[in-house]
Amino acid sequence: MSTDTPERALPATTDAALATRALREGAGEFMPAALGVGAWGLVTGVAMVQSGLPLWAALAMSLIVFAGSAQLAALPLIIAGAPLWLVTLTALVVNLRFIIYSAALRQSLQHLPAGRRVLLGYLVGDVPTAIYLQRLRHAPGWPGSGDYLLGLSAANALVWHVSSLVGIFAASSLPRDWGLEFAGSLAVLALLVPACRTRPGLAGAVVAGTVAVLGHGWPLRTGVLAGMAAGIGAAFIVQSSLGARRAAAT
Amino acid sequence: MDPPAGNPSVVAIWAAIIGVTLTALVTRLSFLVLGERARLPPRLESVLRYAPACALAAIVVPDLLMAGGELALDWHNHRLVAGLCAAAVMLATRSILWTIVVGMGLFSALRLWL
Repeated sequence: MSTDTPERALPATTDAALATRALREGAGEFMPAALGVGAWGLVTGVAMVQSGLPLWAALAMSLIVFAGSAQLAALPLIIAGAPLWLVTLTALVVNLRFIIYSAALRQSLQHLPAGRRVLLGYLVGDVPTAIYLQRLRHAPGWPGSGDYLLGLSAANALVWHVSSLVGIFAASSLPRDWGLEFAGSLAVLALLVPACRTRPGLAGAVVAGTVAVLGHGWPLRTGVLAGMAAGIGAAFIVQSSLGARRAAAT
Repeated sequence: MDPPAGNPSVVAIWAAIIGVTLTALVTRLSFLVLGERARLPPRLESVLRYAPACALAAIVVPDLLMAGGELALDWHNHRLVAGLCAAAVMLATRSILWTIVVGMGLFSALRLWL
């Protein structure tokens, strides 16, 4: 008990100082990833304008939505005039991974007030989540975790917004025949490759891609949706059979 | 040439922006707001884990394999060649930046010189 006393006796500012340090630490540890996120934001900005979205719409989308892969996925559907339910459903499927993230994050953020959790939830992205979970694996129960994540996420949001704005304004003065929107496909591909590391992920991607190609000419771009659904089904089957085999082996 | 079927109206674009934003908000806030009260069935959780791979593949694979609405599985399909090389770069370096730089460089080189 007596060993607790010196800590309690520290001045009240210590909490704030610790929070600031965790915040800075988060922002600092984001920096190695900043180039990648910057490139991704730039590409999303360029792709939005070059595929034919009006400037105001590209700006609004970039600033409000704040979810790059959902933006890139919804973009061709919006341009093609697909119905709202299809645009929204497609974005939802791309964003389903955030449910996993938020389930993975909640335990270490449970102690925070609801307002702070909403802020963190709004700001969080793929890269901050990955860095955060990596760090928490080595330091579970760290009291500065919320501020650390805020630092990571704020740095991520800043880099993302600045780079996508640069992309949007640069794209409107770049010629359309350079095929710059292909950079959007490459960025999606860069996210796809690591998602295929597991066997169910790879099976799902192969089936999803094949069905999407077969359904390319379908009305309302429903081939994309059919591909997603078939892929998720395939991933589930492979996952179940792997689980069954593992259960049989033990 | 006719413009694409839709040529979306201002209202349609705003509706789409709001719809896409809502999907991002609902998914990101889900468990952070619900907290311990909600539980994800393990089977559902494992399926959700593979959703991004499926969604991203359904979007990008037709982009790479098709040209002008037809399957184009040959060396003249610059997107396919550049995409395959970019995927190899991603596997080797795990860097989004290098993947885009190499893919875009190769795509532009093929487009200009072939």
